[in-house]
Amino acid sequence: MSADPPFAETDGPEDGSSGSDGLSRRRFLGTLAIAAGAASIGTTFPPAHRRMTETIRELAEKHGNDPSLLIDLTKCVGCGACVMACKLDNHLEWREDQPAKGPDAALASSNWSVVQAEGRVGRDGESRYVKRQCMHCLEPSCASACFVKALRKSPEGPVLYDGNLCVGCRYCLMACPFSVPTFEWDKTFGRVDKCDFCFARTSKGEPSACAQACPVGAITFGHRASMLEEAWRRIGAEPQKYVPHVYGETEVGGTSMLYLSDVSFEKLGFRTGLPTDPIPSYEWKITRLIPSVAAGLGGTLVALYVRRRRLILEEEDAARTDEEVTA
Amino acid sequence: MSAHPTPWRRGRRQWTFHMTPVRYVLVLIVAITVALVVYRLVYGLGAPTNLSDRWPWALWTWWKLTGVALAGAGYSTALCVHFLGRERWRDVERGAFVVSLLGYLMVCTALILDLGQWYNAWHPLYSWGIHSAMFELYYCISAYTVVQIVEFLYIFEERVPVPRLRGVLKRIYVPLLFLGAILPVFHQSALCSLYVIAKGREDPLWWSLLLPVFAVMTSFYVGPAVVAIENLASHRIYGRPVHMRVLVEMVRISAGVMFVYLVLKIVDYGARGVLPELLGGSALGNVALLELGLGVLVPMVMFMSPRIRSSRSGMVVASMLTVLGVVANRFNIVITGMVASSGAGFYRPHWMEVFFVLGLGAAVGLIYLFIVENFPIYTETDVAVSAAVASEEKARLRAMEPSETRTSTHAGHPA
Repeated sequence: MSADPPFAETDGPEDGSSGSDGLSRRRFLGTLAIAAGAASIGTTFPPAHRRMTETIRELAEKHGNDPSLLIDLTKCVGCGACVMACKLDNHLEWREDQPAKGPDAALASSNWSVVQAEGRVGRDGESRYVKRQCMHCLEPSCASACFVKALRKSPEGPVLYDGNLCVGCRYCLMACPFSVPTFEWDKTFGRVDKCDFCFARTSKGEPSACAQACPVGAITFGHRASMLEEAWRRIGAEPQKYVPHVYGETEVGGTSMLYLSDVSFEKLGFRTGLPTDPIPSYEWKITRLIPSVAAGLGGTLVALYVRRRRLILEEEDAARTDEEVTA
Repeated sequence: MSAHPTPWRRGRRQWTFHMTPVRYVLVLIVAITVALVVYRLVYGLGAPTNLSDRWPWALWTWWKLTGVALAGAGYSTALCVHFLGRERWRDVERGAFVVSLLGYLMVCTALILDLGQWYNAWHPLYSWGIHSAMFELYYCISAYTVVQIVEFLYIFEERVPVPRLRGVLKRIYVPLLFLGAILPVFHQSALCSLYVIAKGREDPLWWSLLLPVFAVMTSFYVGPAVVAIENLASHRIYGRPVHMRVLVEMVRISAGVMFVYLVLKIVDYGARGVLPELLGGSALGNVALLELGLGVLVPMVMFMSPRIRSSRSGMVVASMLTVLGVVANRFNIVITGMVASSGAGFYRPHWMEVFFVLGLGAAVGLIYLFIVENFPIYTETDVAVSAAVASEEKARLRAMEPSETRTSTHAGHPA
C-alpha cells in the first residue's frame, strides 16, 4: 500500500482476493472501532473501521451527486406510510399474500418497498423496524449480471429495469447481494420487479414517494455525499446511541441507500460481511479474460492440428515409399 | 421382429424402433412430461415448481449444469482424437458425440422453459450485456448446439444421401472441428462462472474465483467416465464389444486431470483460508469432503491402478463414482452452498419439477436408442458383433419357443 487514501487509517485487502481474511479482519476492526469509540467518545471521526479503499473513494466521488436516502432506523416507528405511498405512486397491488409491513413483510412483485418489524431487538427492549427497498448500488451486480441489459445503472443514479427487454432468467435475483429483485412467479410470463427509486421524481431532484411520506423524518432525501456527511454528523453528535457504521457506505463498493441504526445491523437482518469491492468486479475479472483465453486456446489448437496433419501425411508418404520400394 | 434390438447395419433401409417394456415406461414418462410442459407454459413458473424469491434457481439449474458437464464427453473425446492424435478413440467417438448432442438439446430445452418471458430468448442477439457470464454462456451454448447439429448431418448423410450435401460438409469440416473444441471450453466455464457473482451468498466451500477453471476440468475428466458407462451400457443392450483398451487409455488421462483438480482445489481452499471450514467437522465441511473424497479421490486412485481399471467391474464402479462426484458437485454449488444465504431452509422441489428432470432424461435415453438403431454410430466391427449376439439370442429363444408356447397356452388360455 504505497498511496494511503486520506480516510484510511488501517489497511485492508484492496484487491479483495482473500475474502475470509478480510472478513475476520473487518470484524476485528469493527470491534476495535467500537472499543475505541467507547474509550474516546467523539474525538476521532471517521473511526478506524471506515476503511476506504481506492475504489470506494473513487465511486463515492463519482456518485456524490446521485440521489440518495438516509434512512435512520432509530426514528422509524413502523407506521408503513412509506409503503403506502410507494404502492400508490407506482400503481402496485395490495395483496393479502404479500404483506408489505409487519413481521412477515417481504419484498415481492407487488412490494417494491416494505417495512419489516424486527421484534424486541433494541437495547431498550423495544421493537425496531427496517424499511427495505432496492439499495441502488453504485456498481450494481444485477446490471452486470443481466445479459440483455434489461437492468442498467442510469446516469442519474437509480438502477432501472426494462421489462420489455427482460427474458426472465432471474440471474439478477441470484446476483443481488441484498436479495432485492423479485420475480412474478404466478404470472404466465413472469418478469422481475424492483424499486426504481421513483425515477420520474428523483431524476428531477424531487424526493421519492417514501421519503416524502415519512411522518417522523426517518427518511432523508438528498445528494449521496451530503447524506453521508449528515450520517456521520449524527453518529458524531450521539456516539453513545448509534452503531458507528453507515450501512451502504462501503458495502459492495457503496450504495445510494444509507442506513443508521442503534442496533447492530446483523441483528436487524441486514446481510453483513459483504465484500467492500463492487461485486461486478469479480465476474468481470473472469469475463474480460475471454478474448485472450480464446486466442491462446485457438492458437494452441491450430498448432496441435497442424502437427497432427503433418504426422498423418508423413506416415502416408512413408507408406507410399515403402510400397514403391517393394514394387 | 427380432428378439433383440440391434444397432443400424449398413444397407438396412427401413426405420425401426424396437419397443421393450422399459421403453414403454420411458415413453409414458415422456408423455406425462409433455403435459407438464404445457401446464408450465400456461400457468407460469410458480405453479409446477417450488421456486421463490429466496430460491430463484434450484433443481432445474442443477440439472442443466449437470447435463452440460456430462455432455462434456463429446468435446473431450473430440479434442483427444483430432488434436492430440488419439486415433484409436475413433471407435467410441460417435457414441460420445450422440450423448453430447442429446445432452445439449436437453439443456437448451430446459433453459428455454426456465425463462419467464421465453419468447424474448432472442433478445441477447441485439442487446449485449457483455459483462455477464450468462452472455458468454448464451452465445457459446447455442453456437455449440448448432455446430453439433451440423456435425450430426455427417452421420445423417451416411444414412440418407442428400445430393451435394457431402461436398458442403467436406468444405466446412475443419472450421467445425475448431469450433467444436473451443466453444465448449467457454460455456462449460461460464456455467459455473454464473455463481462467481453470488460472492457473499454462495458458501465459501464452493465459491471461488477459480469456479470456471474447476468447471472445465470436471467436465473434461468426467468425459471418459461417461464414455465408459455409455460403452458398457450399450454392451448390455446390444452386445456391443467393450473397447477396454480405449477406455483404459481415456481414464488414465482422466486420472491425471483429477489429480491436478484435487491439488488446485486444496490450494484454492488454503489460499482463501477455507481449510478450517473444510476440515472442521461441520455438516457442510463434511459434505464437501465427501464430494472430493468419494467423487474424486477414490475414482482417481481406481483409475490409476492398472489392476482395477482393466477389470470391467472396476471400470464401472470408478466411472459411476466419477459421474456421481460431478453430479454432487453441481448440486452442492446450486443448492447445498446456497441454503444458508437463502434464509428459507433446504430446497424442497415440487413433484412436477422432479418429474420434469426424469422426463428429460427419459427422452434423451429413448432418442439415443433410436439414433443407434437407425444411424451409423458404432463401428462396423461393433455392429457385426452386436448382430451376431442378437442372432445367437434369437436362436436360443427359438429353441426355447415350443416349451414357452405350451406353458402360455396352459396358463394364458385356460378355456
